[in-house]
Amino acid sequence: MDEKLPPPSPEEQEQRLETERVTRRSFLMNVGIALNAAVAIAIATPVVGYLLGPVLRRKDYLQWISLGETAEFTPGETRLVTFRDPFANSWDGDTANIPAYVRCSEPGKFTVFAINCAHLGCPVRWFSESQLFMCPCHGGVYYADGSRASGPPERGLFTYELKVEGGKLMINAGQMPTLQNRASAAPCPGSTPAPNESALVKRIEPCPGTKASTIG
Amino acid sequence: MRPNHIVVTFLGMALPLLAGCDLPGRPKPGPEVPRPEAVTSFDTLYNENCAGCHGASGQNGSATNLANPKYQALVDDASLRDVIAHGEKGTLMPAFDIRSGGSLTGAQIEVLISGMRAHWGKGNVLAGQNPPPYKATHPGDVSKGQAVYTAACARCHGVTAQHPGPAGSILDGSFLALINEQTVRTTILAGRPDIGEPDWQGHIPGRPMTDDEVTDVSAWLIAQKPAIPGQPYPNAKPMSEHPAEARPAAVKRPTGD
Amino acid sequence: MPWYKSVYDWLERRIQFEGPVKEAVLHPVPKSTASWWYVFGSASLVLLILQVVTGILLGLVYMPSAAHAWISLDVLNHDLPLGWFLRAMHGWGSNFMVAVVLIHMAQVFLFGAYKFPRELTWIVGIFMLLMTLGMAFTGQVLRFDQDAYWGLGIGASIMGRVPVIGGQLVHFMLGGPIINGSTLTRFFTLHVFVIPGTLLALTGLHVWMVLKLGINEWPMPGRIVRRETYVQEYNELAHKDGIPFVPGAVWKDLFFSAAILLAVAVCAAVFGPFGPKGVPDPTIISTVPKPDFFFLWIYTVLSFLPPELETPFLLIVPPIAIAALIGLPFVAGIGEKSWWRRPVAVFSVMFLAICWAVFTQLGTYTPWSPQMNAWSGAVIPAKFLENRTPLERQGANVFQEKQCRNCHAVGGLGGQRGPALDEVATRLTEDQMIRQVLLGGGNMPAYGSALSPAETSALVRYLETLHPHYQPAAADASRQVVGQGGGVPADSTVQQGGGQTAVH
Repeated sequence: MDEKLPPPSPEEQEQRLETERVTRRSFLMNVGIALNAAVAIAIATPVVGYLLGPVLRRKDYLQWISLGETAEFTPGETRLVTFRDPFANSWDGDTANIPAYVRCSEPGKFTVFAINCAHLGCPVRWFSESQLFMCPCHGGVYYADGSRASGPPERGLFTYELKVEGGKLMINAGQMPTLQNRASAAPCPGSTPAPNESALVKRIEPCPGTKASTIG
Repeated sequence: MRPNHIVVTFLGMALPLLAGCDLPGRPKPGPEVPRPEAVTSFDTLYNENCAGCHGASGQNGSATNLANPKYQALVDDASLRDVIAHGEKGTLMPAFDIRSGGSLTGAQIEVLISGMRAHWGKGNVLAGQNPPPYKATHPGDVSKGQAVYTAACARCHGVTAQHPGPAGSILDGSFLALINEQTVRTTILAGRPDIGEPDWQGHIPGRPMTDDEVTDVSAWLIAQKPAIPGQPYPNAKPMSEHPAEARPAAVKRPTGD
Repeated sequence: MPWYKSVYDWLERRIQFEGPVKEAVLHPVPKSTASWWYVFGSASLVLLILQVVTGILLGLVYMPSAAHAWISLDVLNHDLPLGWFLRAMHGWGSNFMVAVVLIHMAQVFLFGAYKFPRELTWIVGIFMLLMTLGMAFTGQVLRFDQDAYWGLGIGASIMGRVPVIGGQLVHFMLGGPIINGSTLTRFFTLHVFVIPGTLLALTGLHVWMVLKLGINEWPMPGRIVRRETYVQEYNELAHKDGIPFVPGAVWKDLFFSAAILLAVAVCAAVFGPFGPKGVPDPTIISTVPKPDFFFLWIYTVLSFLPPELETPFLLIVPPIAIAALIGLPFVAGIGEKSWWRRPVAVFSVMFLAICWAVFTQLGTYTPWSPQMNAWSGAVIPAKFLENRTPLERQGANVFQEKQCRNCHAVGGLGGQRGPALDEVATRLTEDQMIRQVLLGGGNMPAYGSALSPAETSALVRYLETLHPHYQPAAADASRQVVGQGGGVPADSTVQQGGGQTAVH
């Protein structure tokens, strides 16, 4: 059997090609290749645009959604609510029902937490008895005000921007909150750290809420 | 191997497959994980929601002995439903109804009630014994309660918090802060056979307690709750009785700052 | 001439496959490669074919719509004859494929088969491994249940950690702002067209290179790979001491492939299909998401990383790992092939295997996760409630009701996030316990705002009873001093040097 390696060296190939390079036929072939490339680019541009559609359409998917009358929320309680994804497709089925926690700390004062753990997005569960949110995935725990209590999360629960309009509690929602999709959650009050703060302090600072001790 | 052998072997292997109705891997009917509200088995519901405090099969738990047939005879469905759905105010029994922040639907609470009746109720075991009603019909008279306590409870639970009886004190401020009158009433009426506490007929030697006595002692007990319950060292002497702490003169406190 | 021979000849005159096929199957291979160690590559190929076939069959029924995917899987499981068996074959086939591919890779690494001139075969193989893992992950998504939904959430959260473009990456990955039907169709396309297409093309390239470059000879200590001489040495080995690939070496491949297929079928028949678990409704929050077996180790690693290291780790380590694998044949492309002379290689494989096994084992019971139903469902064994005072019993109620049990086991039941409390009283005095409960610390939340003083007292009183009968609860010596009216008792534990543990 012939030795299969090494293949002809680049120099040899170059020599072989050199003899044909300048002929008219090879020129026409090159033009043909260039034509194909141009057409390919013309076709590829809309394809790329199509693929990037979800990103290019808009930066943030946010819309004001009503969670119901403010009177429905008992002061001092945290309640699970669900709302319909404002950007839902008609074939989304149950996945378009999005849960969230509404905390009414005192009359007229609300915080709406996203269901997603700030660690890796798993659904946190509220335990009113111990006033804690616990995450079933990696054990992230949050206090009633959403600040980080223990576990791997590096910040508190994501909160939705909210307003009360005509007696209804509205939140600005629609996209899955992650660490980079900042706008999904309103910037937490007091979470923007001073620029000279060390990165580590910034990361584990509870948000939202105060730095005051929760021991009451 | 001749072709017909191959066919026979192939069929031999394929037939059990085709008839695979009873292969062990075949999924059982119904979804593997039902929606939480679709769980309607009493055992599953009880073991996931109640067993932690009320004990496996309703006894030997830290909370009320549900498997006590006398308890099942005393308590009516409406009261059970209310306690499960909304919790018992003033005690550690939380609300389980989904509208009250719990996780159970109304139908599931009904399953729990009927399941408890079916598993642990033994018909009307109290027929003819004329027990006091499950719920107090009138407020108790606190002033009469202490005498009842001395007669009915002090034997086992001690006369004062500082001198607990063999069954432990029930005059402890922290304890009283975690129960309500109904807890006391239920425990007296139904007893706790799993830990040896008698029912209302066994507290006072020789005769059952009357409705008024139960009501009065419940009210009196709750009235004993201190204004600020839960001090960590309730039995310690007050500071005034401690010998004055003489600070060694040699210790100098840093000044400033 | 029989009719089939004439048909064959008619076709062969036109297609002319016989020459190349004969060349491929009869090419001589070193005798040493006819080994049971060399069967994993062909077994991977057979499993890939099994996955393609079963996948096409499932595709006849599967509905890639968020509203219907789960239902179509349920129909496969329950309503179509042997639909469940097909799902089981596909699921178990995927597990076997990942396993066999990994074994194949370890074998290739230990036998030095990635060295000159087979560097590119190795690199293509790495991309095939990534494709295989990609198939496993996207396949888990197509089984559109709660695990799939929240698995996507984990994937999106990892994407969201990429600096600057993280948000856009999440939208790109999910095909929209949130996990929904667009996400499922994206992953359907990946799982059914993009990744398998690429994987098949790479497989063709991989096999082509194996045929062209020859099967790696059995490594012998001292037989050094040199760029100048290797090809000649290999050809001598194959021609002088070689056997034709068919049937000399191929019979072992055939036997092993049959055994693997049978093993997949037996697993499928005995253990059945994977899921689907609960319906993918995000409002059902009483769910405990868990990845499939081959991703459990990642799940474990994610729970153990300190918060401030997590993002760098997630974003930096995977590219480094892939770069290291690709760079391997360029760094160590010549020299010894035998594992007897490559201790670093052997120990690397052992180290990785042990890490993987430990992480996976931990991932099967997730000791870092709170057990969400333990507070209301985990029974306190009767011996931990015997002879307790009414206050201590209420303390046990507090212990359950405040969800302590979700993280702390008693009697072997309950969460394992925190330490088991069976003998906690021997470790902490009453005051230390009060401090720990109220202020938390050591990865425990502070319960100060959730517990009333009465609840705290009751709880601590109960915890103080949790010690074995032969060992008393830890007590604070200074409490004794106060109790004695300020004077240190003559035989106090302080004087005996007993530390904080008083022996009554």
